[in-house]
Amino acid sequence: MIITKNVCKKYGAFQALDNVSFEIKRGEIVGFLGKNGAGKTSLMRILTSYLQATSGEVFIDGIDVAKNSLQIRQKIGYLPETPPLYDNMSVKDYLRFAAEIKDVPAKRRRRQIDKVLEQCQLEGVSHKTISTLSKGYKQRVGIAQAIIHEPALLILDEPTSGLDPIQNRQVRQLIQDLNTERTVILSSHTLAEIEQVAQRVLMIKAGKLIVDEDLPTLIKQNQLEHQPALNLEDIFIKYHQEECVV
Amino acid sequence: MCGLIMNKVYFIAKKELLTYFKTPMAYIILLLSICIFNVFFFMIIDQNREVSLQNVFQIMEFMFVFLVPLLTMRLLSEEKSTGTMEFLMTAPLSNNAIVLGKYLGMLTFFSLLIAMTGIYFVIIEYFGAPDILTTLSGYLGIWLEGAFFIAIGLMTSSWTQNQIIAAMSAYAILFLLYFSASFTSYVSGPGEIIIQQFSTLTHLENFVAGIMTPADLIYYISGILFCLVLTRLSIENRRLK
Repeated sequence: MIITKNVCKKYGAFQALDNVSFEIKRGEIVGFLGKNGAGKTSLMRILTSYLQATSGEVFIDGIDVAKNSLQIRQKIGYLPETPPLYDNMSVKDYLRFAAEIKDVPAKRRRRQIDKVLEQCQLEGVSHKTISTLSKGYKQRVGIAQAIIHEPALLILDEPTSGLDPIQNRQVRQLIQDLNTERTVILSSHTLAEIEQVAQRVLMIKAGKLIVDEDLPTLIKQNQLEHQPALNLEDIFIKYHQEECVV
Repeated sequence: MCGLIMNKVYFIAKKELLTYFKTPMAYIILLLSICIFNVFFFMIIDQNREVSLQNVFQIMEFMFVFLVPLLTMRLLSEEKSTGTMEFLMTAPLSNNAIVLGKYLGMLTFFSLLIAMTGIYFVIIEYFGAPDILTTLSGYLGIWLEGAFFIAIGLMTSSWTQNQIIAAMSAYAILFLLYFSASFTSYVSGPGEIIIQQFSTLTHLENFVAGIMTPADLIYYISGILFCLVLTRLSIENRRLK
């Protein structure tokens, strides 16, 4: 579904992404891992066409993202790191606006809004002003706007950042439920969460893709004999060992 | 295709207007402006004893130089600072739809403000026999002037995520356009003509006097289009950064 070829992104002299190439198949849940500033958000923004790559190509369903960005954006649901919400709108008004600009046909709009309100468990706050909601609810409203047009590809940048454990579990469950219908890419610093949700991992370090592997294979490859069982956090630290102070 | 784009322009303009009316700012600006206009309207009518809105339009123009940047400063800079620009720019919306939607939303609010001053026409019509065409020409002139000022404010709002900087930049351009006529006494020849053509005062004067020339219409329309194109380029440039 997604093919990236030698994607580079430069901000002035700073190389944020360096020859990143990978493929993602339809229906996969892929976790983007990396330290802060590794280039995860830049890569996600390029996939959504919010940013243009300095060089390289990105194809989604065979369509060039740089050349046909409007067509691509109909296929993508995107939750940025900070949920993009209009604080003085009510949840329902905001979702109506999202449905309008994301080409949900007028006849289906009300049904679609009710559906995402239910999926994201927002029925109880649908008439509340967004500014009065807790962080967990705001995050869910952010996810609701991302799925309102039933996109084939869902890109979630740190969807559980700042949530309490219960909200965390709810969002995780929601992502798994959503995957029955679509491809999901998510980034998170909570590696246990990626481990539970993702089937495959892409690890980015200083703009370079250093790991592109199925999660069970990755763990198997790094597991040493007669050593305690490894988890994703151990592997992440191993790949960033020279920067870790123990 | 065009219908689809216009639909989206309408959705953005509607959202812009509705969210603006959910803030006290919209009501404060409407109320404050209309109160100030009322004071000047009655002062001018009392002093001049004329059934003409000529001087009222000139006061309105002066007021708009200060008022419009307050209206427009948040249009795109707030979207940038709160991150909702990312929402708009990753939705299937063209940059043209974003710019036009924002512009038309604010222009509708401004038109409402102008419409509220329509009562002045009713009053002078009741007490005398004003020249209707001259008054309508004045209204068209002041509306075009406001539309031009809003386009300038939208453009400066696209340059930054700081609303104060957006407002200050708009003030700098509007002051230059409005007060440039004062410099004509210091220059002569082609320089004087250029400054006169550059100033908004010169163009509005004609409308207010009931003279609608193609040059004045072209001045406002090309100014609006120029600012909207620059706003679109500023948004487009964001993708390349």
